[in-house]
Amino acid sequence: MDEYAFGVLTNIGLLSFVALSAYLLLVAGELSFGQQAFFGVGAYAAGIGTAMLGWPLPLAALGAMACGALAAAVVGLPALRLRGLYFAMATLAAAEMLRIAFELLHWQVEVDGEPVGPDGTQGFRGIRWVFEHGVEPAGFLALVWSLLALVLALIFLAERSRLGTAVRALGQDAELAASLGIDVLRFKLGVIAASGALAALGGALFAHHNTYIEPRNFDIMLGVHSLAYALIGGLGTALGPLLGVALDIGVLEGSRFLQEYRMIVFGGLVALLLVFRPRGILDERLVHRLTRR
Amino acid sequence: MKQLFLLISLLLPLSAAAQRVHAELQCKPTGTDFVYDCLIRLSRGGEPLSGARISVGADMPSMPMAHNVKPVRATPAERPGEYRARLDLDMQGEWAVKLRISGPVRDLVILHYDFTESGTAPRK
Repeated sequence: MDEYAFGVLTNIGLLSFVALSAYLLLVAGELSFGQQAFFGVGAYAAGIGTAMLGWPLPLAALGAMACGALAAAVVGLPALRLRGLYFAMATLAAAEMLRIAFELLHWQVEVDGEPVGPDGTQGFRGIRWVFEHGVEPAGFLALVWSLLALVLALIFLAERSRLGTAVRALGQDAELAASLGIDVLRFKLGVIAASGALAALGGALFAHHNTYIEPRNFDIMLGVHSLAYALIGGLGTALGPLLGVALDIGVLEGSRFLQEYRMIVFGGLVALLLVFRPRGILDERLVHRLTRR
Repeated sequence: MKQLFLLISLLLPLSAAAQRVHAELQCKPTGTDFVYDCLIRLSRGGEPLSGARISVGADMPSMPMAHNVKPVRATPAERPGEYRARLDLDMQGEWAVKLRISGPVRDLVILHYDFTESGTAPRK
């Protein structure tokens, strides 16, 4: 494999984290346009950890996940008073507020004679931990996909437990779930915090893969895509969002000959897919049919 | 044992880094849509950096991970520290050009440039 193939596969892995975070919320019955904000929180937190505070990446990534979970819970607590599209709009507004906060964040320290740290709209340069520790593209790819496999295993385990059943139940009908004794607010807040931590882990890895981040990396485009990945791939299994990301990147990479028209073609394909399979390719019905055998 | 050393090195903070490479970019449109011929100037400690192997890639900051350019190998130009590469972009606009440098030194340099019909300008 060449450098480009490693890059594309790494990007699929990184986007899968934010797609899975949107998937968790969709399963719990909430539509979020704001997962990019927690991806950004993770990217900035982990960047500050390694590049400015001199932490090792594993510690910085854990710190980033904690920040992501906290930020998501702070957004989720008031937003959960709303329903449906109102909740979605609240998450979008919160995400834009966080992106603007990144634009206003100026905090730099000197490292080896170079200023390092967030510099408003100019971004945050010099997140070089992975590069300076000699982690090659193949090694980073293995790290991203190992963590993704771990996350998937945890989600599969949770989905087969009472916890997963309760989350699916409140995603289908929150009032019915509440009547069965499920604490809807606590469960939803837990899912929101978990989704924030997951997106933040992806952001932490993205920042170290790119060595550079800026507020524009975390705008609405990433939020819409993450939601689209989960919806395209399907809500029946956690593998759905991964399929959505692979299809998106695969179609985009495979249609380079269409040049600037490829985004239009891609948008049309997504619209057609959602007309014929509104809950995605791997929807609940298909997954049930496959797992029954 | 090798894996153990790698694991330990990953867990330790890095104490020092070598002097960084500085780069400038100048690109001209070729006449084909979104294809640019670029001249890269590398220096280190104020001196031109010759003999480097450079892989040049690019992605769009506003669409991270979705719009990437397949990295190309830069070739040495006439003057010391200068290299040429042809970039085939998806569209005009701002691109983060990634120079992955190996050879006499190893470094990764990110440059932000606006690619327009007339050429390139560094992001303000």
